[in-house]
Amino acid sequence: MFGLQHHSAPCFARPLRLLRVVLLLLLVWFRPIEIVTADDLAQRIDSLLQQSLAVAQVAPGPVSSDAEFCRRVTLDLAGRIPTVAELSKFLSDPDPQRRVVLVDRLLDSPEHSRRMADLFHVMLMERRGDHPEWTLFLRTSFAQQKPWDQLVREILDPQEAPEQIRGAAWFITRRLEKVGQQETDYPGLTRDIGRLFLGCDLQCAQCHDHLTISDYRQIEFQGLYTVYRNTSIRTDVKFPAVAEKPLTKKTDFMSVFDKQPLLVGPRVPFGVEQEIPQFESGQEFAVAPDRAKNFPGVPKFRGLQLIAQSLPAATNRRFAENLANRLWFVMFGSGLVNPLDQLHDDNPATHPELLSAVADAVTAAGFRLRPVLREMALSDAYQRSSCGAAAEAVLYQYGREKRLSAEQLLASVLTACGAGAPTAIADAASEAEQKRADAFVKAFGNIPGEPELEFSPSLKAALFVLNDPLMQEQIQPRGGNLAERLAISSDDTAVADELYRAVLSRVPEAEEVRFVCEYLAQRREIRQQAISNLIWGLLASTEFCLNH
Amino acid sequence: MLQPHCQSDQHQFSRRRWLGTAATGTAAAALPLFDPAVHATLLQRSAKQVLFIWLDGGISQLESWDPKPNTEFGGPFRAIPTSVPGIHLSELLPQTAQQMQHLAIVRSLCTQDNAHSSGVDRIQRGDPQDRGVVYPYFGSAVTKLLGPNASGLPPYVWIKPLSGGFMHKDAGFLGPQYGSLAFGDGKPPQNLLQHADVSDRFLQERMDIRAFADRQYARGRPAASTAANGFVYSMGLELMQRRQLFDESTFSSADVQRYGTHDLGRHMLLARRMLEAGVQFVKVNSYGWDTHGDNFNGSLSLVRRFDQPFAALISDLAESGLLDQVLVIAMSEFGRTPRVNGHLGRDHWPEAWSLCMAGAGVRRGIAVGSTSDQGTWVTSEPYDIGHMFHTWFTALGINSREVAWDNHGQPLPIAHEHCHPVAELLV
Repeated sequence: MFGLQHHSAPCFARPLRLLRVVLLLLLVWFRPIEIVTADDLAQRIDSLLQQSLAVAQVAPGPVSSDAEFCRRVTLDLAGRIPTVAELSKFLSDPDPQRRVVLVDRLLDSPEHSRRMADLFHVMLMERRGDHPEWTLFLRTSFAQQKPWDQLVREILDPQEAPEQIRGAAWFITRRLEKVGQQETDYPGLTRDIGRLFLGCDLQCAQCHDHLTISDYRQIEFQGLYTVYRNTSIRTDVKFPAVAEKPLTKKTDFMSVFDKQPLLVGPRVPFGVEQEIPQFESGQEFAVAPDRAKNFPGVPKFRGLQLIAQSLPAATNRRFAENLANRLWFVMFGSGLVNPLDQLHDDNPATHPELLSAVADAVTAAGFRLRPVLREMALSDAYQRSSCGAAAEAVLYQYGREKRLSAEQLLASVLTACGAGAPTAIADAASEAEQKRADAFVKAFGNIPGEPELEFSPSLKAALFVLNDPLMQEQIQPRGGNLAERLAISSDDTAVADELYRAVLSRVPEAEEVRFVCEYLAQRREIRQQAISNLIWGLLASTEFCLNH
Repeated sequence: MLQPHCQSDQHQFSRRRWLGTAATGTAAAALPLFDPAVHATLLQRSAKQVLFIWLDGGISQLESWDPKPNTEFGGPFRAIPTSVPGIHLSELLPQTAQQMQHLAIVRSLCTQDNAHSSGVDRIQRGDPQDRGVVYPYFGSAVTKLLGPNASGLPPYVWIKPLSGGFMHKDAGFLGPQYGSLAFGDGKPPQNLLQHADVSDRFLQERMDIRAFADRQYARGRPAASTAANGFVYSMGLELMQRRQLFDESTFSSADVQRYGTHDLGRHMLLARRMLEAGVQFVKVNSYGWDTHGDNFNGSLSLVRRFDQPFAALISDLAESGLLDQVLVIAMSEFGRTPRVNGHLGRDHWPEAWSLCMAGAGVRRGIAVGSTSDQGTWVTSEPYDIGHMFHTWFTALGINSREVAWDNHGQPLPIAHEHCHPVAELLV
């Protein structure tokens, strides 16, 4: 349940705190589903990891500093680094519960919804481009705190109304677009549904039972394929929409090895096959097709609906485990099961009880993400320092480095170099902003179809940071931005302090203050350029371009 | 099967990079240790380089490497003697004929695909058996297998007409970091040129500040991330500082005249400079060789435009001694039909065609294989592209029958397992 950990705030905060408790109680009242949540997940995480560290005979690493935590959690939950003001406020906050307060503030911010929309866009579309209707769907969904099962249902069986969610169809239609002379990639779509919503890469099971994974049988792939290869992109409407033909008979398939003919109807992987009802010819449609308008009609029996009902369901354990594993990856930088799309009996989780606990929590929270992310962020494991980790450190003994997405990097560059306020979130980006966002994705994103998981610096990205005008303009003094504020100041120590707070979200060490002061002292006559160089050097540092 | 030498830590390391070139100075010190057993061979191998000239659309073997004058399908051009007694080339290759003592010609290619869209892929990927994975192009494969060299430059550079940029498609399952850096019309990709506001001095200072910040961050942390990030910045700076490499105005006018002022001439001259600078694999593309119509006038201009810079380049590489370490290959996705079609053109013909190679590990002054009198069929042992991959890998010091790819645990041969190196082509 929300809000129950706020008991020990100091007295001056009491009226506010009371108000908050009342508000939260009201929220709880109006959102009864959250009464069943995962509110002891943080404790369960820590007790399970404590046990595994004890077995490995190592002590947990130190707790992160406040600055380290503030940067980490702001990046994870709001998608950017903290501003100088936010950091200072947090560092000087005497409230022993300040970390809890920060997590709750971030989770309630509009930036969190935006961060979730960006995060799931990258996860689900894997840099296959973007579409305004899809963006609208994701942003509206996360702003409404739509549960994951509902969101996935809307993706698997997209509807043309209401308008805010019809863009969900783009998940399917983008994958059905023809590339050159290649056939429509129905197997790729089927595979991605398995990978992204069940954590199961069934690619090899297209042609035969998987050779080394006993639970990936050919029928798992074929039952899903039966439904999705029956779809196409609707051409009678301008927005992304999926047409479905009537499904009249089972699919025959055979293994490339034993050539034994087999049949399967619509079937969720690892689930139960559904019978296909038979209609008299001409009676297959609930809404008849209209050839003149290219309207494909709506069949009475719809495979998409069937899959959408039974795949994203609390009773489907793999669905919950997949979400648990992916959220864990987002927050902890490593899946409990790796690779993320290899959930199966022969590839057990690094911490099976933990996967189970997180999957339970995800289910208990009704597939709402915020309560689960909140518990993860409040765990000791999440709050461990990443500093001091040797290469052979035990998993979760220290914090792990996490890759920043192009979106997080852009928002962080703007926050670091800007006028001190977090970048306002506009629903519709201006042309220049869109161009800048595209340039960041081009420089820092992976190629289409490749998941973005580990930190992978590239020559392309380095050249972008080195020479692109979009980076140069950020470090030129103008309009009260960081470069201008620092250039005006004549106190080099203060410059070092603000520089490190703004870019690296921490107070500089004595050695670093000395470095900055010496550098500036030798460049009095070109101070402004020298300051730009300092900002650039820190922006290009590994510390800036990772979440650690 | 043995795995390639770049496994375990080194594999991890290079997978995280865009590509696997060794850096000089501090970044090299951060490289995880190689297995000492393979380190020596690695260094030995990494001196090898490749120039791969791709004549897209299909050069006619009858108007180049395998002329059949005075035969039914031979066309109007004569055959001329070369610097090697007994070997004749088309008269469209007069300058190349004078370099024949350095060259090896294969006249007995017999491959599987006569469509461009799939043929280019199949040939450049070595047409391995279908195992449901996308094989790397030869360039990506070579740079992965040879491992880093000491140039500090991107290992796989592609000089081509039209657009440039980072081309990942070539890399197949090796991952995008083994793709090529393409110089569209010989020009460097976006962001390679230094921003006008940033002087050399400031650029160096920025890099020093960056390095200081990374040293601070790396204290008490594993070195992997800072090493990886430092590596790409070093390479970026290296490329920027050697931007004269891409400045055509610095070529001598004598060289420009010798290579020709047309695209292929300019691009071949640029290729020579890249090879001299140490780039491991240089691919040069020339388009427009698909002479379905008017093949003879087409060849007259196309083959001559190839002849001039190719002969100049072979001559230059031989003179400087670079030819001993550079493997040169000039080829297309297939040859052209002996039969002349109704438009006086030749169509696609994978059944019997030719290529030319030279340099590292390759015997010089030979023509291997033969075709029937009319050039229609191979009359000696037919060689598929798999044979060529085996031969090229062997010429580069890579044992193509023992080294295998490791595609996420799936072992895959680097060249078709039913083919073998062609001994008569190798030193």
